[in-house]
Amino acid sequence: MRVGMPHMGNIYIPFKAMFDRLKVDFVMPPISNQRTLSLGARYSPEGLCIPFKMTLGNLIEAAELGANTMLMPGGYGICRLGYYTRIQEQVLRDLGYDVEIVQLGVSEHKFLGILNLIKRVSNNASLPKIVSAFRFGLAKLNALDKIERMVQKVRPVEVVKGMANQLYTRAVDAIEQADDYNALKKVKKDYVTRLKQVNIDNQIKPLIVGITGEFYVLLEPFSSFDVERELGKLGVEVRRTVFASEWTKFSFFLNPLGINEKDRIHRAALPYLKRDVGGDGWESVGEKVLHAKEYDGIVHLAPFTCMPEIIAQNIMPSTRERIPVLTILCDEQIAKPGVLTRLEAFVDLLERKRRASSSNRQQVNA
Amino acid sequence: MIRVGIPRALLYYQYLPMWKTFFEELGAEVIVSPATTQTLLAAGSSRVVADTCLPAKVFMGHVLSLADKCDFIFIPAIRSLKSKSYNCSKFLGLPDMTRAVIPESPPILEIDIDINKGRRQLYQAIYKLGRRFTWNPFRVKRAATAAWQAHLSYRQLMSTQGLTPPQAIENISGTSVAEPRTPPDSTSPAQATIGLIGHAYLLYDEHINYQIVQRLQQSGNMVLTPEMLGRHELELAVARTVGTAYWTYEEDVVGAGSYYLHNSTDGVIGIMAFGCGPDSLMMDMIHRQANRLKTTPFMCLTLEEHTSEAGVITRLEAFLDMIYRRKRRREEVCV
Repeated sequence: MRVGMPHMGNIYIPFKAMFDRLKVDFVMPPISNQRTLSLGARYSPEGLCIPFKMTLGNLIEAAELGANTMLMPGGYGICRLGYYTRIQEQVLRDLGYDVEIVQLGVSEHKFLGILNLIKRVSNNASLPKIVSAFRFGLAKLNALDKIERMVQKVRPVEVVKGMANQLYTRAVDAIEQADDYNALKKVKKDYVTRLKQVNIDNQIKPLIVGITGEFYVLLEPFSSFDVERELGKLGVEVRRTVFASEWTKFSFFLNPLGINEKDRIHRAALPYLKRDVGGDGWESVGEKVLHAKEYDGIVHLAPFTCMPEIIAQNIMPSTRERIPVLTILCDEQIAKPGVLTRLEAFVDLLERKRRASSSNRQQVNA
Repeated sequence: MIRVGIPRALLYYQYLPMWKTFFEELGAEVIVSPATTQTLLAAGSSRVVADTCLPAKVFMGHVLSLADKCDFIFIPAIRSLKSKSYNCSKFLGLPDMTRAVIPESPPILEIDIDINKGRRQLYQAIYKLGRRFTWNPFRVKRAATAAWQAHLSYRQLMSTQGLTPPQAIENISGTSVAEPRTPPDSTSPAQATIGLIGHAYLLYDEHINYQIVQRLQQSGNMVLTPEMLGRHELELAVARTVGTAYWTYEEDVVGAGSYYLHNSTDGVIGIMAFGCGPDSLMMDMIHRQANRLKTTPFMCLTLEEHTSEAGVITRLEAFLDMIYRRKRRREEVCV
């Protein structure tokens, strides 16, 4: 059994660590690139969203490398995601690959579901072994997200542009290489100190832009034109609430206990959207309402034709809490220069708005 | 008398008799918006973001046309009608979306229907809706029972007599008992039997689909739509194709599509709206099935505001020509 799975940002690192420990034959498709997207777009039904196309591209590339068992999220829900596997399996079969897609029924079975699934692909490894491998994977995931959070802070204020990104790329590699807890701890500490030592300009008060929207495009930089990095280049501090490690922590361990990190966001959205519309539509509206005072602007990322995000997009302009929102629809037809132009214009607008409000304040004080 | 507005869009075609009975039993007057027109569609689509789907734009247009004619607008939020199968986000967010994009609309009567939460919640939701009209729970119960009966007889009327929803609605309300618009001509046999699959709000909105049903009938074809099949047949066909249903109105497409592909139609035409989430997957399922079976021709028409009438007609004519030729050739072989 050769196992393949689609990419979503750095999610392959913890999975790879886990599979290495369990001696699963893991075939990693190439990191998402233009070919992945072209392959995916070519073989998917036309009206589908970019997460489907990208994951299909990944699966095709994994199948080319010889994987025959694919792990894909799925299950019941409102968004199309739950239905992906049924079509993807047919597409792969029609292309002549004899593969089986195993659904990660994460929404229903939570932690037990993923344990059972790993048990299945790892030739019935013993439960303690699986749990320990899972823990190690989780440690890597946490390390990755911790570094990423720091990088988000450093990017806009560093003196020499590009230092943080360089360190981040190296840190990701190093975390991938680390093969036990000690090495991982050392790498983490090492890069945290290095990031702290990056020369930063204390004078700058960067604009703060929240990034919200659909889960996949938030976490897969290729599908969303690396929006975070580009904003960083423009001197904007990016805030994002969605992290894979947070998601794992809450949906596997804390949600079953009745603790829901999103309650606050949902409550904020309540006056405008009373019910869950699937996907992340409710959260998008909630985040706008919740952070209207805190942030300078919001970049709303959504796949083209994403149903929940269209609802959110329709509702967002009507909220009483006012804050500029730039919606970027992600699709294989959209070119990066177009997105960059829009981002630059958006940042200009935010800067002007900030200047105007600060000069107003000075007049009031005078 | 309280006037309740019901937009002639989306779920109207499935549930109008039920909703109408319910509100009339509670002593309200029901106002249904007029048929879709270009102005109405343009007004609706000017309110929402560009990539909202066509049926939702039509819906907003209907709400706008009702805005100054009634005291309440009824917009249900239907989450699930069967265990573990959910509805498209658009239906869930419909009341909230309408409120956001049409601030001048009259107060919205909403009801949350989620079978997964159990019967008790459902009854409470119905009572909450009825509370606007009466305090008496028994009256609400009576109205709800009558509504359910009306719904069952409506469905039966369609499946036994082969009527389309607009015909059945006219039949029930008794507006045009005189003559169904295009009676299937019993004297001359139909040129071809065409299975038309898709959601009711696309098949029967004559403006947005360029009168496809009438066009097919006028050129002497027999048209079969999803409503003409019984519940049981549809469910069997869904189970055969995809196992358990994932979306609520899946049987309109997957069930009917699979049934008509397997059962003695000369061709199947699928109609979907551009950007429709569920249909993008379900129509593809049927497409692939048709490719595998290789017995019945299949064509999918995608509708949106920019679809042109000429384009639709051309494709329809080409498809029909192909079917006629196929039939002729087969008859020649038989002879």
